[in-house]
Amino acid sequence: MSQAIHHTETDGIPTLFAYATGPVRAGLVFRVGVADETLAGAGITHLVEHLALHRQGLADYHFNGATKAAFTHFHVEGAEHEVVAYLHGVCASLADLPMERLETEKEILRTEEARRETGRLPLWRYGAQGYGLSSYPEWGVRQARPEDVRRWAQTWFTRDNAVLWVAGERLPAGLSLTLPGGRRRPMPQVTSALPAAPAYFSDGTGGVLLDAVVADTTAARLYAGVLERELSRSLRQEGGYSYTAASDYAPRRDGFATVTAFADALPAKQDAVLGGFVDVLAGLRAGRIAQADLDAVRGRSDATLTAPDAAVRRLPGAAEDLLAHRRPRTLDELRGELWAVTPGQVHAVALEAEGTALLQAPAGHTADWAGYTAAPTKSSYAVTGKRFASVRKDGTALVVGSEGVSLTAGGDAVTVPYRACAAVLSFPDGGRRLIGTDGICVEVEPGEYGIDAHTMATIDAALPAGTAVQLPPRQRRPEPVARESAGPGEGRGPGSAAGRRPDERTRRTVGQKAVLVIFGTLAGLWSLLALMYTVFGFSDPETTTGEWAALALFLWCVGGLLAWPAVRVARGTRKG
Amino acid sequence: MPTDATLLPPDFELASAYPETGWLRQAAEARDWAAIRTYFDKLPYETDRSVLIRAVADVPGVEDFLREVVAAVPDDVLALTMLGSREVAIGWSIRTAARAEHVSRDQFRQMHEHLRVGEQALIRATALDPSFHSAWAERLNTARGLQLGQNEARRRYDRLAAHHPHHFTGQARLLQQLCPKWGGSWEAAHGFARACLLSAPAGALSGGLVAEAHMEHWLDLPADGNARAAYLRQPHVHAEVVEAAERSVLHPDHRPGYGWVSVQGEFAAFFSLVGDTARAAPHFRALGNLASEYPWGYLGDAREQYVRHRAAALGRSGRG
Repeated sequence: MSQAIHHTETDGIPTLFAYATGPVRAGLVFRVGVADETLAGAGITHLVEHLALHRQGLADYHFNGATKAAFTHFHVEGAEHEVVAYLHGVCASLADLPMERLETEKEILRTEEARRETGRLPLWRYGAQGYGLSSYPEWGVRQARPEDVRRWAQTWFTRDNAVLWVAGERLPAGLSLTLPGGRRRPMPQVTSALPAAPAYFSDGTGGVLLDAVVADTTAARLYAGVLERELSRSLRQEGGYSYTAASDYAPRRDGFATVTAFADALPAKQDAVLGGFVDVLAGLRAGRIAQADLDAVRGRSDATLTAPDAAVRRLPGAAEDLLAHRRPRTLDELRGELWAVTPGQVHAVALEAEGTALLQAPAGHTADWAGYTAAPTKSSYAVTGKRFASVRKDGTALVVGSEGVSLTAGGDAVTVPYRACAAVLSFPDGGRRLIGTDGICVEVEPGEYGIDAHTMATIDAALPAGTAVQLPPRQRRPEPVARESAGPGEGRGPGSAAGRRPDERTRRTVGQKAVLVIFGTLAGLWSLLALMYTVFGFSDPETTTGEWAALALFLWCVGGLLAWPAVRVARGTRKG
Repeated sequence: MPTDATLLPPDFELASAYPETGWLRQAAEARDWAAIRTYFDKLPYETDRSVLIRAVADVPGVEDFLREVVAAVPDDVLALTMLGSREVAIGWSIRTAARAEHVSRDQFRQMHEHLRVGEQALIRATALDPSFHSAWAERLNTARGLQLGQNEARRRYDRLAAHHPHHFTGQARLLQQLCPKWGGSWEAAHGFARACLLSAPAGALSGGLVAEAHMEHWLDLPADGNARAAYLRQPHVHAEVVEAAERSVLHPDHRPGYGWVSVQGEFAAFFSLVGDTARAAPHFRALGNLASEYPWGYLGDAREQYVRHRAAALGRSGRG
């Protein structure tokens, strides 16, 4: 049996084949993903992927689709004829998408999205464009028209932008892939929203997360493995601060790879997890790479490369490499590199990683003390133009200029220049949220700043085409102190994530939690009292029905007033 | 001999208690790194050398010299630790010892800037050599000043204790962190002091932490009214400090290591405050006329307090 990947072609589509027994596995991979979209059009690739799979219905063989940052995979496993039928069906659907399913699939995507936990690192690293889009909701799905979806499929899902891989005893007979012609697409442009690195931002309560972009080498892959062992040893075994400590190595296929490391933390131990995490990284940076760790990680990698299914497991990645014009390396080449890696090379990767590292510290914690620069949460300048002071007189003001919009407070500002606006979210109540390509947001609330209709129309007219996102009515307008928009106002500590938050609602603060609990409890107790009076007061011979009704109404009104602050918090925020 | 020395005015000079610190200061002033390095290399591993490092770090302007050393030998853990320690010293001197509400925002900003620079040198020091206990002990200072959290301070102490389980300077710094003024609790502070006492070998300085915790607790109570006096009058407080003194500086196995002057001072000050002059006396005798700013500064003017309480202790307890 040959442990090799063979190159061939199927109907003009480059094809990678590896010999394997058992059910046939195959994948059709396209060079398109979230990073090719725009913020206002985000989700369209995912939508195409869903539509392309619809006709597969409830087949009893295993199939799936996956939309990643720069690649979209259609995967199948089954008998030869099933694989042929699947691939044929996918291609046929891509050439003629079932548009009658459009609204239904949009609904499915919205449901899927509600369950999707998106990482925050991409948006802080890349901004609201390119690879940063994986952090954002799929805002383009709702308004995607059939012609948009069709054009997207015709542009990206073409014969010339695809690679097929097959693992089986032979290439399935009768395999035919009919796709329209097009051209091979270059890799997405790599943007940056980080002026300095290593950088950090503070968000979430789950633990500490870090990623770094390094040259895609075998030494880098081993570095990720060594990092995981060190994190596990110091945070889990020695300290008991974390339950999970893990790392991941993901080639971006453009010569670089993303190393991601994570350690979870109990809320009470977050400071120690952060400290331990920083020290683990510092240890590797200082060159303390244990030979035993390196050997263990190397051994595990070698086992993967020599496993009977090694070639098969490499097929999806090799297909991505081929689409990115990178020659897939053979298993022997990889093993050769693996055994040549020295601790010194791993140390060099640690130094390289430091130069691009982005760390997510738990909310309320900073990492400036460890040499990480706070990632920007405000802009370096404010536009000049017409100034609208907050009607609440809290010192904030919205400035509408000819080249953009700023929100200012004291000496701080967040600015979205029109030319660098990635999306503008519009709510039916007249509110707008402008999101810059750097991820910075400005809330434009006409009511809160007394902005006239003419000025609002000027803003709308100045925004670049294709940036508008119409959203359904929202439950609550944001506070004028723009917490969501990196408001230069209260509660914005160093490195606060406020400026880059893609969510609709702000995270609950401690004060808001307290309001929720206290008023919620009071309202509950009061309602109980009101209920008891309503039920038992009626039969009280001392009071007339009129008196009873008046008092009962009064009690319920008070209960409602007590509940109101809690309801406001509960509706306007999400759990921190 | 002590009887004679106890008649002299108190001597707060570090070099009087530890003459080598005077020599190290001179070497630092002369920018003689080779001499400093050689001196430290000859110390036994278990020596708590924080006092010596601090002696160098307190030399005004020494940061320039230390930066040059680090630039020439980036992996010199001792130099990194001294540089970190120097930045911490500069930071705290900007902050001053005043209570937080009397420190300006700008003072805090500058202090934090120095602590961050110091911390980064110390991160590198512990990364290069996790067994270098003096660097961990310094990182307890940066953790406190930068308010990195109780668990983080504890983690640093645990890293230190993994290599040096009875490091007195490290213990004293964590004890400060565990006090309510730095975000801890009295339960944690007293508990830690007691645990250090019980696990330390007989005669070790760790017993001083028990007295220190009670002194801190006492100082934290309102000065007006009788809360402070009432605190010290509690029999269990007295009994705990008596036990701590007996297991540490009064124990026959006790050998005065770095830090002994402040520990003897703590016991002397504690028993003086309680009015137990008889128990204060042996500590004053052991001190001769040696003194340290801590704990006497807690009582008022350090020099004045020292002289007054010493006279009370040795005058009434008799000599001989």
